[in-house]
Amino acid sequence: MTAQFSYAFPHRHLLGIDGLNRLDVEELLSLADTYVDLSRRRVKHADVLQGRTLLNLFFEASTRTQSSFEIAGRRLGADVVTMQAATSSLKKGETLVDTAMTLNAMRPDLLVIRHGSSGAVKLLSRKVGCAVINAGDGSHEHPTQALLDALTIRRRVGAIESLTIAICGDVLHSRVARSNVALLNLLGARVRLIAPRTLLPPGAADWGAEVFTDMREGLAGCDVVMMLRLQAERMEGAYLPSAREFFHFYGLDSEKLSYAKPGAFVMHPGPMNRGVEIESGVADDVERSLITEQVEMGVAVRMAVLDTLARNAPDAGARNQ
Amino acid sequence: MSRSTLIWNARLVDPASGKDERGGLLVEDGAIADVGPHLASVRDGAADAIDAGRRVLAPGLVDLRVKTGEPGLEHKETLATASDAAAAGGVTSFVVMPDTSPVIDSVALVDFINRRARDHARVKVYPAGGLTVGLRGAQMSELGLMMEAGAVMFCNGDQAVEDAGLMRRAMQYASGFRALIASRADTHALTRGSVMNAGAFAARLGLRGAPPEAEWIAVERDLTLAETTGCRLLIDCLSTGRALAAVEAARARKVNAACTISAYSLFFNEFDVGDYLTYCKVFPPFRAEADRQEMIDGIARGAIDAVVSAHDPQPPEDKRLPIADASYGAVGLETLLSALLSLVSDERVTLVQALRPVTCGPADLLGLPQGRLKAGAPADLILFDPDTPWACRREDLRSRSKNSPFDGRLLQGRVLKTWVDGRIVHDAWQP
Repeated sequence: MTAQFSYAFPHRHLLGIDGLNRLDVEELLSLADTYVDLSRRRVKHADVLQGRTLLNLFFEASTRTQSSFEIAGRRLGADVVTMQAATSSLKKGETLVDTAMTLNAMRPDLLVIRHGSSGAVKLLSRKVGCAVINAGDGSHEHPTQALLDALTIRRRVGAIESLTIAICGDVLHSRVARSNVALLNLLGARVRLIAPRTLLPPGAADWGAEVFTDMREGLAGCDVVMMLRLQAERMEGAYLPSAREFFHFYGLDSEKLSYAKPGAFVMHPGPMNRGVEIESGVADDVERSLITEQVEMGVAVRMAVLDTLARNAPDAGARNQ
Repeated sequence: MSRSTLIWNARLVDPASGKDERGGLLVEDGAIADVGPHLASVRDGAADAIDAGRRVLAPGLVDLRVKTGEPGLEHKETLATASDAAAAGGVTSFVVMPDTSPVIDSVALVDFINRRARDHARVKVYPAGGLTVGLRGAQMSELGLMMEAGAVMFCNGDQAVEDAGLMRRAMQYASGFRALIASRADTHALTRGSVMNAGAFAARLGLRGAPPEAEWIAVERDLTLAETTGCRLLIDCLSTGRALAAVEAARARKVNAACTISAYSLFFNEFDVGDYLTYCKVFPPFRAEADRQEMIDGIARGAIDAVVSAHDPQPPEDKRLPIADASYGAVGLETLLSALLSLVSDERVTLVQALRPVTCGPADLLGLPQGRLKAGAPADLILFDPDTPWACRREDLRSRSKNSPFDGRLLQGRVLKTWVDGRIVHDAWQP
């Protein structure tokens, strides 16, 4: 199956939500809808990336994002190679830019990169000739996560411009929060951030989100509650007193969920810390939790992104005519 | 059962309303039912009547800094013995510091203090939670949970938090709960091993001094952090005029900052250390006379939110040592009122000005209803004669430890009766 795509997506890379306009996003989400359908078939295969090479370069450990990109690439017929930092020559002292130049010489068409430093993906994008997709850079952006969250909400909850959506937890260190605030604002949602003050970035109130430090106040009237992962190294020590205190005040349990709109949905980008930011009963509630659906939408969104950027790749002109 | 008492023919001094007038006060069911000049003389009714004989009836004192040895160091002081001393000194509410063994840095310890105080103390006791785990200054403790358990404020005991990054995050975090953080005004790197105020006198005695700039630096740092985080800050026991000026300047910039001073820094100066008196080894130390005068002026203009006893019981084995080896600290619950009254008899401040930082001032910082003569407030009251002279002798002190720098001093103003929730907890009146 080949998706019909009349709007010319004007970007060579997908480095963040910042820089996209609403039409870009709507087109990606519509294309992703068709890939949801494809992925639910018995034979989940298209050939739009036939002969193209997708290179996954993960400098940070990842299970779902990495396999999601691998599956997305394979379903579209691409040749997929995944490299992890642990086994790459980066461990042998090669600089990031040299690694990129080396890989670029192998002529991939699409390069998916995750890196622990904010801005590292953008740096690499300047050094390579192929399309670069940011699969998460430090505390900066994770655009495909925001797109898959938007797709999930659009399909399960409804038109995003009518919704109030709370993003709760470690906003300070979260690239998911930054990309989601940008994207949900672009799509017209009312966005709220709820976190202890130590986990709120300075100036968060200027992001286009209302800021709360109290779950009861922040969740009132929300349609969707997005929980963020709290990394273990933040739990004990400087940012927070303890995991149990965090759970007491900010962990999503059924009582705190009851402050939101009746029937409000729960999302989490994974991997979850059960009993820290989310109670198992809430995470596993099939009526309310969209967490596994988010994973499914992740593959479809990444197929749409790979497909769209492959059309724009510099050496792809002849093939697309 | 309704039990009522009328205290009539009293001089009512209520700093909250600024009133100092002849009148009476009616107590019903542990609370103040009515107060004012119209109750100045006794009338028929069900009330037991007490003729105050024109002595001062004022709110019981609220003390924001008391150390006991409970738990862990009961040989110094227990909540029970501290509360006996408090009742005798007219202190009807006090905040206990977290530097005990173990440290009060968890819900369980806050709960322990509340239960022990309920069962053994004659006056109201409020725990301050430790700001960092074990007061080690490395990791924030469970401030939110402790606050829910009843901690009224947070501090790091006698230790300043040296790590500015930790202090900032603790203040950010606490500001989300509107919690009050008390900060010790000390830069420890400048005061380590000090015995007294740095200066010519310390040099002549051959003693290591704590320079006042250690306080100025710490106060400026924490006021700056309070300004940028929006946290409610209480500077704990400042002792220099320049630090007080910094607090006032910050308040003028709308920083939510308050300060306390210890009663002894209103009474003593560095020369009182004199002949190596270990009872005068306290922290912050007795400062220069000019600083003491600026503190007194601060009381007069209402710049100081609370005067504390800084009660810190230390047994002889920790004090009967060369002064460099002796522990810091002085008991103060039984001399808090007298130290303030000495300023009144010197005509430096009025009685209302002297009592404000030990009644409604500290009560308002903690959001407590007591500390005022007002219908509906708890009947926490003291009756005293501001002109009664007495000699402070350490063996007469009720505190388990007797380390008072006032030992041997002539003071004036003794508490005759103390009530907590309308109940008499101290009675030294022989009409």
